[in-house]
Amino acid sequence: MLIRSSLVLALLVSVVPPKAARAQEIRVAAASDLRFAMPELAAKFEKQTGIRVSVTYESSGSSFSQLQNGAPFDLFFSADMEYPRKLEAAGLAVPGTLCTYAVGRIVVWTPNGAKLDLPRQGLNALRDSSVQKIAIANPEYAPYGRAAIAALQKAGIYAQVKAKLVYGENISQAAQFVQSGNAQAGILAESIVKSSSMNDGDAWEIPLALYPPLEQAAVVLKSTANKEKAVSFLQFVKGGDGRAVLGKYGFHPEDVAPSRAGAT
Amino acid sequence: MFFVLDVAIEAPPGITILFGPSGAGKSTLLDCIAGVLRPDEGCISAAGLVLYDSQRKINLRPNARSVAYVFQSLALFPHMTAEENVAYGLAALPRDERKLRATEIMKAFAVDKFRSRKPAEVSGGERQRIALARSLATRPRVLLLDEPLTGLDAHLKAAILDDLRTWNAAHRIPILYVTHSREEVSALGERVVAIDHGRVVSEGTPVEVLDAPRRKRIAQAAGFENLLNGSVADVREADGVMRVRLDGSQLEIEVPLGFSAVGHKVCVAVRAGDILLATQPPQGLSARNVMEGRIVAVEPRGFLTQLRVDCGTPFLVHVTPSAVRALELAPGQRVWLVLKTHSCHLVES
Amino acid sequence: MTLEPLLLSIRLALVVSVILLAGGLPFAYWLAFSRWRGKFLLETVVALPLVLPPTVLGFYVLVAMGPQGPLGRFWQTFFGHGLAFTFEGLVIASVLYSLPFAVQPLVASFESVDRKLLDASAVLGAGRARTFLRVVLPLSIPGVVTAFVLSFAHTIGEFGVVLMVGGNLPGITRTISIAIYDQVQSLDYGQANRMALLLLIFSFVVLSVVYGFHRRVGRDLGRRLWTP
Repeated sequence: MLIRSSLVLALLVSVVPPKAARAQEIRVAAASDLRFAMPELAAKFEKQTGIRVSVTYESSGSSFSQLQNGAPFDLFFSADMEYPRKLEAAGLAVPGTLCTYAVGRIVVWTPNGAKLDLPRQGLNALRDSSVQKIAIANPEYAPYGRAAIAALQKAGIYAQVKAKLVYGENISQAAQFVQSGNAQAGILAESIVKSSSMNDGDAWEIPLALYPPLEQAAVVLKSTANKEKAVSFLQFVKGGDGRAVLGKYGFHPEDVAPSRAGAT
Repeated sequence: MFFVLDVAIEAPPGITILFGPSGAGKSTLLDCIAGVLRPDEGCISAAGLVLYDSQRKINLRPNARSVAYVFQSLALFPHMTAEENVAYGLAALPRDERKLRATEIMKAFAVDKFRSRKPAEVSGGERQRIALARSLATRPRVLLLDEPLTGLDAHLKAAILDDLRTWNAAHRIPILYVTHSREEVSALGERVVAIDHGRVVSEGTPVEVLDAPRRKRIAQAAGFENLLNGSVADVREADGVMRVRLDGSQLEIEVPLGFSAVGHKVCVAVRAGDILLATQPPQGLSARNVMEGRIVAVEPRGFLTQLRVDCGTPFLVHVTPSAVRALELAPGQRVWLVLKTHSCHLVES
Repeated sequence: MTLEPLLLSIRLALVVSVILLAGGLPFAYWLAFSRWRGKFLLETVVALPLVLPPTVLGFYVLVAMGPQGPLGRFWQTFFGHGLAFTFEGLVIASVLYSLPFAVQPLVASFESVDRKLLDASAVLGAGRARTFLRVVLPLSIPGVVTAFVLSFAHTIGEFGVVLMVGGNLPGITRTISIAIYDQVQSLDYGQANRMALLLLIFSFVVLSVVYGFHRRVGRDLGRRLWTP
């Protein structure tokens, strides 16, 4: 009986039609690391313009796949440069809208009580026997995961810690692994770590020289029906207000090289 | 829905028949004796062993009671052969002895030749025998049979009962035999306990219990086709009779004296076969009840014909087909019904 | 294309199905025949994995496996390392996730056995264990097969729970469903398709063998199950 009623419930829920898109709304696909910054950006934008921004957070790889298959988004904020470039090359982006909006950073995050001496030993501290598992995002498709591997390799300890690595589907999941205590340390995005929910641990900034810059690019999608509104949001994010918010949340818009800023 | 079973019976070695209509509580009683159902209070003992005693807090599990029970559905294990079924209760014995005993009992009940067949592969009568053999293989203290022979031909029934009797002659255990068929009661001819509405209504020989039924439902079960409601009009102690006015008419009939007073409501049971029919007003008869009426319907029923006669109160009368021909009985005909006082039995309604 | 993820998934499914059968039989027996008034609560708990989204279930299992959680603490004391990101961790999570798929067919099968047969067995002197082994179980073979097959199939296809607690370690926790997902994420659609096809063929073969055999056995049993 319980199975029957839960099946009925599931059917009902799936049949309920999604909210019809309103004209005063733009839909944004955003990388997981924007999970804390984006709501504030959206709120400020709506206050100024009255346009609602509805956001879906996914790993950039997932978003890219969906966009390739016609997912109805107006804007795509990726965690890297590659995916937006690929979209442009495939003709799915509005020409000239590709631009870098922020630069991300990776940190080593450990929960309170961990006895790692990262400031003095640097990444070598991860070789300590108290660290049994290190969580990173999956390097096969997550930009922050690739950056983590690059840093470990540059620091010369990749071979020694490789067996300890566990892979989250995205940096949020990697953060989950560390927060739940199942991994003793994690190489995470600074933007995730800056959020209030992760204040029960310590973040150590990995030296920038150890990994290629995590330039994050955005692009307006060709399939959009709200081109002007999408462009105005993009400009807002790249403008003064947007940069202030991004900076607060661990992104570094000031690091964006001027040549990459792209056309407005 | 509440059902209260309140009985006290004793069953000596041999067959005791539990007779009564459906829902009377017969199967419930067997369930309690077997330990499948737990009574609220009372005491059950068999061959000196106390099976259940609410006061002493004794309640043996069914598998410790050594009570054999053949259900109405037989409950043979469908995935086992006849031999495996029969040997099921003998698991405590060593293998050789088990096989010996199983063979012995299967021979006694003539199912030896089916030993390797599954229950679905043999006929109804053979299944009943296997079920009996299975129960008796364990040499129980008591055997309970719940309508065990329903659906079998008369000669099959007789054969199985013969084998059962032969077996019991050697073992002498009490056998409780539940049935609602009066033919079986007469055929078995042993002690009968009549049960209705959860209570023992009468005990004795088949004749005693069946032919003088005290309860209306027993009367119906025992084959009294006419059950007439009425009230006592007159009591004549000196003559040993009462006069009863039948409901819905002016008819009064004379019945044997009972423990009733004038105005009391009674039910009179009369067998259709005990009523005589005449096409002319009879003269000089000893019978005290002669009623005029009209034939309403003639219903042939094989070896007898049933007539519906309206004398103000409807009666069912059985006559032979040759009588129907000789008297040219037909609906609408005026007839007289003759009823002896002692063919009328008072029954509690 | 490596067979490792598929072999890992098969190994996981086999281990989980065997555990579920071993534990499920006595538990289902109790559920089918107990008369305890609180039984419905346990039945609800057993059915919960059906309604919980796998990722939700996986998340709570992850927390339970952590150093503060009951599972994690126990495992750490006994084995000296954590339970998450291990094959054993996957087994535990999968057992929870597939629990109703094993228990419910078993309970249904046991309950469909004619009660009179159980009474007959008891009256003939058999204790509860013997009645279960010689009467209930043989008459419930279709249910047992269903329970095993469903647990196996459900575990092979499992994704959400493995994703949450597995950590995606090749050869240890990277099951075939995770591997296919990885390939899609990496935009390697060709590999993904090949792996998916392999999984599909394997599942089809296994299930058709089981159902084909089951149907034949089931028909025979059906004939024998008829009682007069």
